[in-house]
Amino acid sequence: MFFLYTLIVLAAMTALLFAVPLRAKGLTALVLIGGGALWSCSMAGGTLLKGQQTLLWLASGPLFGGDSGSMDTLSALFVLIIGIGSVASAAYSRGYLAGELPHKSPAHVSLHYTSLVAMYYAMLGVVLSDGGYSFLFFWELMTVASFLLILFEAERREVRRAALSYLIMMHIGFILLLVGFVRVETATGSASFTALAEYFRTQPALPLFLVFLAGFGMKAGLFPMHVWLPEAHPAAPSHVSALMSGVMIKTGIYGILRTTAALGELPVLHTAGVILLAAGIVTGLWGIILAAMQNDVKRLLAYSSIENIGVILIGIGVAALGKASGNQYVALAGIAGALLHTVNHSFFKSLLFFGAGNLLTAVRTTSLDNLGGVARHMPMTGMLFLVGTAAICALPPLNGFVSELLIYLGIFDGIASGCDTLAAAAGLAALALIGGIALLAFTKLYGTAFLGAPRTHEVAEAREVDNIRIAAMALPLAGILFVGLFPGLATAAITRAASFFLRTPADAADWLLSPTLQTAGRTAWLLLIVIWALYRLRRRLLRGRPVSEGPTWGCGFTAPNVRMQYTGESFSEGLQSIATSLTQNSGEGAPVQKGEIFPRTHSFDIGHRDRIGRLFSAWWVELLRRINARVMRLRTGKINHYILFALAFLALVFLLSLFNLI
Amino acid sequence: MALFNTLLLGLVALAIPGLINRTRARLAGRKGIRFTQHLHDLKLLLHKGAVYSTTTSALFRIAPSVYLAAAAVAALCIPGGDLRPLLSFEGDLVAFAYLLALGRMALILAAMDTGSSFEGMGASREALYGALVEPALMLVFGTFALLSGYTSFAQIFTSEGTEGAQTAVVLLLAAYILMKITITESGRIPVDDPRTHLELTMIHEVMCLDYCGVDLAFIKIAGWLKTAAFSLLAADAVAAAAAPRWWVAAPLAMLLTGLSVGVVESAQARNKLARNTTFILTVVALAALVYFTAFLLQRNISIQ
Repeated sequence: MFFLYTLIVLAAMTALLFAVPLRAKGLTALVLIGGGALWSCSMAGGTLLKGQQTLLWLASGPLFGGDSGSMDTLSALFVLIIGIGSVASAAYSRGYLAGELPHKSPAHVSLHYTSLVAMYYAMLGVVLSDGGYSFLFFWELMTVASFLLILFEAERREVRRAALSYLIMMHIGFILLLVGFVRVETATGSASFTALAEYFRTQPALPLFLVFLAGFGMKAGLFPMHVWLPEAHPAAPSHVSALMSGVMIKTGIYGILRTTAALGELPVLHTAGVILLAAGIVTGLWGIILAAMQNDVKRLLAYSSIENIGVILIGIGVAALGKASGNQYVALAGIAGALLHTVNHSFFKSLLFFGAGNLLTAVRTTSLDNLGGVARHMPMTGMLFLVGTAAICALPPLNGFVSELLIYLGIFDGIASGCDTLAAAAGLAALALIGGIALLAFTKLYGTAFLGAPRTHEVAEAREVDNIRIAAMALPLAGILFVGLFPGLATAAITRAASFFLRTPADAADWLLSPTLQTAGRTAWLLLIVIWALYRLRRRLLRGRPVSEGPTWGCGFTAPNVRMQYTGESFSEGLQSIATSLTQNSGEGAPVQKGEIFPRTHSFDIGHRDRIGRLFSAWWVELLRRINARVMRLRTGKINHYILFALAFLALVFLLSLFNLI
Repeated sequence: MALFNTLLLGLVALAIPGLINRTRARLAGRKGIRFTQHLHDLKLLLHKGAVYSTTTSALFRIAPSVYLAAAAVAALCIPGGDLRPLLSFEGDLVAFAYLLALGRMALILAAMDTGSSFEGMGASREALYGALVEPALMLVFGTFALLSGYTSFAQIFTSEGTEGAQTAVVLLLAAYILMKITITESGRIPVDDPRTHLELTMIHEVMCLDYCGVDLAFIKIAGWLKTAAFSLLAADAVAAAAAPRWWVAAPLAMLLTGLSVGVVESAQARNKLARNTTFILTVVALAALVYFTAFLLQRNISIQ
């Protein structure tokens, strides 16, 4: 009966959203999501405080009979992530879509908002189900809802393409999950996550673990299944990108966490840890290197989501290795880092995608080559985006630093206590390189888009967006600042959520981590105070002295123009020259010829396509085409050649029969 | 003790540029500038007004303060021999690296804020080299953690795990890598040449082309602090092999960087830019090798 109720509620919400007038649809969706978020987040807060599991529903009847849903501390944490991300996204969508409403039919807008609300409740269902087919039902509902959300601008061809490829890839993942759950049910009689743990204890665990990893990894954007992300995010409206990148792909992480926890303390956990760590390293490095090469704000952000999934997986891998070797501290630091990074990423990635949305509505482009100097014309957006940029580069005193510090702590402690030191060193070097290149990618993004001089007149005429959107961006900003400046408090909630994975009591966990986190928090405050003091000192020193303005120093060149600024492409040229084999580079356009004294208009188009993207979508097509081309070489159209082939065939038959092979 | 350590660090930071200048002058057979010339220059800068580019925003004005604050707080994590630093906690190794990254980001963004192609050039190179050198730094820290069994600088350099002839070799190699990282991070030959005035080839200096007066002074002090922090780390590694005392580590830090940078700058020309990536990647490979050696030592596997 539970699912009957679910469907009735969904139908009622749909009817309501279709019925209200066009202007009020956004507000209705916000109320519907906000109400659910208030209720579920307060419950999640209670669960995290008390640290116990509460049963929410137990389905009866023929469909999904016996499936239950409950909230434990891990679900509670994800309920919080989903609630904050969805409310911010719904609030943002009102201002973002205001300009679009006149061009769209009311049914179109209603469908969009219905999908948004359905997506929120589907994600809640995913993290609250105890597994089984009801889990898959919500999972599929989430996929379909997000598919419809991407399709908002369905009149553009690339949007339809991206949405379709998303739908196909998600269903490959869905089939993998279905196979996994069916296998569990045939072996144990139930398909819940508890039964999965039972299955892992009694049957060979590794194959099924890999099936689940691939299935959930498809949603999370695990290498090489990440190819849908950089296509879908630029195609979707910005609040949808924020929701998908900040929140939805985390459900994949949720699944991976549940699967890894189900492994218990079996010997295979060590292998799983190595696999997770390796997957995290490859995903993280691939994501960030490709991100650094992109010249579009939303594509860059999409690739950086892949990188962050990699960082989270490194954390989970470290935790699994620590647990397998019995080192509680390593396991705790790793899992706390991974969980906190999941929360953090939902904050700063939402913020950054909202910023990209502001660019899109104010300047009508997200191409780095057409931006520049936006911070001057849109100061609030510029400032918020800067905070997001610093946070995603894991710089103190913001939240990204705290979570990466925890993961590093797990790795360093693993090294110091001498367990799995080589694997830990690989994770260490990779995490450091990821951090460094993230700084390159995001200084490129912020530097070329928001700083310098405007490259087009659209930027120079841009206006700041409305206050509701700024308020929607302030919600993740508050999270960023809270975690960054009060790391001890934030991690207390995380260590309670980590109890699904570890048997360490939360108090002991706090005791282990709190000295480091408190000092890290104090360091953050000290840093802020020193910055403030130095800035005051500088102003004092400059008081009463001549302070003037002049043109930027052009090294003697007297006629510089805005087109001579360093572009995004040139900023990452150094990295491209090293990592050239990861991408398919194309450059179109004719250079200025020697004889052209007065050059005509030339256009250039430089592209860096993901090698995996091509490999995944078209490798078999390409293979067939190549084989065909080879075979076609035999068809020469000359009769003497054909006689030669016949002769060769006879000779072959003769030789083979001579050696008794046929 | 912690305050004394901070004082010592400041002393090292102030002495190193003078020592480099004197070494260079001696080796070239010049009379050279006096030891304290850089301090006089600093005083001059601190007394000047400022000219800002019209393209720049508020970020450009805050960036030097952020850069200096980040470098100063990062330097507070570094102990001198057996002294306890002001900031010390498990994982301060990570905080050190990421604070420096914060400073780097501030300077890169400030350079991009001017809209100058030269400064963009410098910023892009700084970002790339900074990214590539990061794994080397972390692997060296990993080696320290592996040898000592601790994860904070103060405990690492006073632990008993770093004693013994075999570990001494690893520590010396780690110090050698740290010296190379010092050279890269502080923009000295062969990675970058602070004396060139051909903007096309510069990295660090070109990023500050539009700064003057107080802001430039802040950037210079931050650079000295960064160099001092790295040199002190290298000196700590050497001292830990022999005698982990502050009166060994601090003079060693001045001499190591002062002499080696001076000698290298007198004897060598700067790299072609394309060679810099190779140079840094070699440092990373070396760091990985040192880590692996430490790992073998830890396991008591001897190579015949």
